Amino acid sequence: MKKRLRLGALALAVLLVFVYLLAETITVKVKTTSVRRDPKFYAASLATIKSGTALQKLALKNGWFQVKTKDGVTGWVHSSAIDTRKFDLTALGGAQQTQASSGEVALAAKGFNKRVEDQYRVQNAAANYAGVDKMEKFTVLPAEVEEFLKRGKLGEFGGGR
Amino acid sequence: MNARLRAVTGFAAVAAMALLSGCSAVQKGAGILASQGKISEKDRAAIVGTSQALRSTFADITDEEEYYIGRAVSALILSRYKTVDDDAFTRYLNLVGMAVVYNSDRPETYGGYHFTVLDSDEVNAMAAPGGFVFVTKGLVRRCGDEETLAAILAHEVGHVAARHGLQSIKKSRLVDAFGVIGSTAASQLNSEELTKLTGLFEGALGDVLETLVGRGYDRKYEFEADALSVKFIAQTGYNPAGLAAFLTTMERDKPSGPVAGWFKTHPSPADRLTRVRAEIAALESAPAKLDIRTARFAAELERLK
Repeated sequence: MKKRLRLGALALAVLLVFVYLLAETITVKVKTTSVRRDPKFYAASLATIKSGTALQKLALKNGWFQVKTKDGVTGWVHSSAIDTRKFDLTALGGAQQTQASSGEVALAAKGFNKRVEDQYRVQNAAANYAGVDKMEKFTVLPAEVEEFLKRGKLGEFGGGR
Repeated sequence: MNARLRAVTGFAAVAAMALLSGCSAVQKGAGILASQGKISEKDRAAIVGTSQALRSTFADITDEEEYYIGRAVSALILSRYKTVDDDAFTRYLNLVGMAVVYNSDRPETYGGYHFTVLDSDEVNAMAAPGGFVFVTKGLVRRCGDEETLAAILAHEVGHVAARHGLQSIKKSRLVDAFGVIGSTAASQLNSEELTKLTGLFEGALGDVLETLVGRGYDRKYEFEADALSVKFIAQTGYNPAGLAAFLTTMERDKPSGPVAGWFKTHPSPADRLTRVRAEIAALESAPAKLDIRTARFAAELERLK
C-alpha cells in the first residue's frame, strides 16, 4: 500500500513536470515564417521557421510571442502563426524537436492535404491550379511594405490623426 | 525505471494530454510516448484516431487544411475569370493589401495572403479561405482613392480573419470528413478512404464557392466583415470614410429590378452604410485622408485603363 502511494506521488510529480514543460512550449502552424528582431513584420529576420517547429515561449506582448529557438535564437513571432493550444509535447526529448513525431505525420497524412489535392486535380482538370500557383508566387517583401507605409504615412509612420 | 512505474507515468501523461490538450498535441504526445516505448504502437494509433474523431466543426479545420480548401476554391474562381497580368499594378494591390494585413487581427495564415485583379468589368470582390483575395477591374476603377481600395481589401481580409468561408461548409460534410480521417489506425488512408475524403473535399469546396459567387454570405457575416474593415483600416492609418464612400456610390447605382453579382451576394448598401457610419463614429480618432496616397492610387489606376 505504502509503495503504491509512493508510486502515485511520483507519477503526480512527473505529471507536474510535464505540465510545466508543456506550458512553455509553442508550435508554428504556418508553412513558413520568421523569428524577427522586433515585434513587427518588417523587423529583421533572425531565423526562418517552418510548420511544426517547437519554440520556447518567453513572453507574449501585443499579439507577439517572444520566443527562443532550439538553436538559441531569441526573437518575436506573431501569435497568428502559432498553434495556441497550450500544451504541446514536441519539446520533450531532444530528437522530437527536429523531427515530426509520428502523430504529427499521421495528422499531416490524413487531413485535407496535398494528397487530397492531387487526387482532386486528377478528377478536375478544369480547376486552374497554375493560376493559383502564380498568385501565390507573387509576394511583396516586408521591407517593401515598410517603404510603402512610410511613403504613404501609414502605420507607425502616420501622424495625421 | 521498472515496468510498473513506466506504465503509471505513461498513463498519467496520456491522461494529462487527453484532459489538457487539443487534438494535434495529443497526437504528437502519443507519438513521442510510443517512440520512447511508453505506449505500444497500437495504443498510439488508437489515441490518434480518437482525437481525430473528436473534431466536428469548422473551428477544428487546421490552418493547413484551410489552405488546401482555399487553393481549390481559388483554382475554381480562376477557371471562371482571367486575371489582369500587370505586375506593377498587382504589386501595388499587394502592398495596399499587406499594409492592411499587418494591421489586422490575423496577419499570418498557412500560405499567407495574396491579392489579384480579375479581368472583369463587373463590380465584385471575393476572398477564398486562407487569404486568396480577388477584386475585379470594374471594382478597382470604381474606387476614387487608396482609402477606398484599402477598405474593400480590409473587408475581404476580415472574411478570412474570421474564417467566414469555412463556416459555409455543411456541418454534416465536416463530420463525415473527420470521421473518415479518424476512422483508421493506419497513418495513411487507403485508396477507398482517400476517394471518399476527396469527394467530401469537393463537396466542401462547392459549399464555399456557392457562397462566394452564388448565394452570398449570411448578412451577419457581411456586417461583421464591414466592422472588421473599419477597424483594420483605422489601425493601418487610412481614413475609414473610404468604405462609406464606396457604399454610397453602390447605393446610388443600385439597379432596379432583379439583381446579380455583387448586389446579389451582399446586403443592401443602405443597410451596410447605416452600420458602417455608426462604427466610424465610434472610433476614438480617425486618421486623415492624405493627398499623397490619392495621387499614387490615381497613377496606378492609369495602368488598368
